Amino acid sequence: MSEVIVITSGKGGVGKTTTTANVGTGLAKLNKKVVLIDTDIGLRNLDVVMGLENRIVYNLVDVVEGNCRIKQALIKDKRYPNLYLLPSAQTRDKTAVNPEQMIKLIDELREEFDYILLDCPAGIEQGFKNAIAAADRALIVTTPEVSAIRDADRIIGLLEANEIKKSELIVNRIRMDMVESGNMMSMDDVVEILAIDLIGAVPDDESVVISTNQGEPCVGDGSLAGQAYMNICHRVLGEEVAFLDLKIKGGFFEKLKRLFK
Amino acid sequence: MGQQTVVIKSNRYGITLFLDKHIPFKDLLHDISEKFRASSKFFKGAQMAIAMEGRNLSREEQIKIVQAIQESSSLEILCIFEQDTLEESYMKQAVEEKLKEQDASNGRFYKGTLRSGQVLESETSIIILGDVNPGATVVSKGNVVVLGALKGTIHAGAAGNERAFVVALHMMPVQIKIADAIGRSDDQPAYLKRRHASEPKIAYAEDGKIYMELITKEVINDIRI
Repeated sequence: MSEVIVITSGKGGVGKTTTTANVGTGLAKLNKKVVLIDTDIGLRNLDVVMGLENRIVYNLVDVVEGNCRIKQALIKDKRYPNLYLLPSAQTRDKTAVNPEQMIKLIDELREEFDYILLDCPAGIEQGFKNAIAAADRALIVTTPEVSAIRDADRIIGLLEANEIKKSELIVNRIRMDMVESGNMMSMDDVVEILAIDLIGAVPDDESVVISTNQGEPCVGDGSLAGQAYMNICHRVLGEEVAFLDLKIKGGFFEKLKRLFK
Repeated sequence: MGQQTVVIKSNRYGITLFLDKHIPFKDLLHDISEKFRASSKFFKGAQMAIAMEGRNLSREEQIKIVQAIQESSSLEILCIFEQDTLEESYMKQAVEEKLKEQDASNGRFYKGTLRSGQVLESETSIIILGDVNPGATVVSKGNVVVLGALKGTIHAGAAGNERAFVVALHMMPVQIKIADAIGRSDDQPAYLKRRHASEPKIAYAEDGKIYMELITKEVINDIRI
């Protein structure tokens, strides 16, 4: 049985694409057959984060318009044989596709894949409607900032209105040192506002920036963010995994040093 | 159609039906439905009193007529007048009393979190089992009770009832309006407020200002529903 998961946030720049790349790669690492679909038509970038840009021949719009078969547009990942990417078009815009076409496309993919991950564009217009049309489940990405949380709240409301019952929250880019000093909202604060289940908390970690720029998702590597993403993958599969302790470790002197920073 | 069997006369607060004495009640009912269907646009969503003239009607027949009217238009009949009380001022008073009564003392429940961009409108008082998040709006002609955190915008007594009130377990609204009075929150960032808003509070209007207080026996005694 396949599951269609949309990764969305409302606000731009909170880490939808990075999350899609890492969760998708992580699920593939756990031996699931996964396809990632970039629904951000006109602002394509999931292929860049995945390091697959040079392999694009056909894209989502070509498939929908019947210029090619789905198989021709799917790009096989260079690392994992059971991971595929359906890239978006760069030369068109969101109106090139409508929700009915997305549902039809995804229904075809359901037969072949365990997980279909949709990277949603920012905003709540046509692109968002396309992305959520066929989704069974949503991962909502937010950062602990009021603007991102406000947009996430709006998105959750829209998902509920579209009868996507299962919405789970990923709080991205947490800095525990700032939470401890009271200058940043904690995961608990965010969950309390949004009132949905938390499925992951990802620390603000240099390794994410580095891996994104290199086109190599960091999931499952030694970094704290990599571990956090891997835990999200396990939770997506329905396993119970304890939340990571995101505190930066260090003795008394480390703390003292940070105090005087 | 030869002769008019039903004639409608209306003022701002009520309508008077002049009914034919001779045709069978069933036909009359049919004519009334037709008449109101034809003018349903005119009466759209109105709330009025009604009086019936020209024919002796039993209580049951009156109710059937009211049902026929409400089925064929979105006009809401608030009360039925006996004859001889057709004066506009009389109807006005009756309708307003009825409306106010309905606003405040009737209520409904809503379960769920109201999120940014969502608007909940209610003709009566409303009890929300959940939070009202920032960016969400509740508009009620009666009172609003939030069994959760109120962090959005509330308009109680939206039809002008200044005695309407707002209650919340965690009172941190962006803005509260009661009838025409507006109160807004202070400028402290919302996420810092959580810590000192843990006690249930009530907001009410007095002299065009909104006041917020802890719920105590004295405050409750002052509430007039």
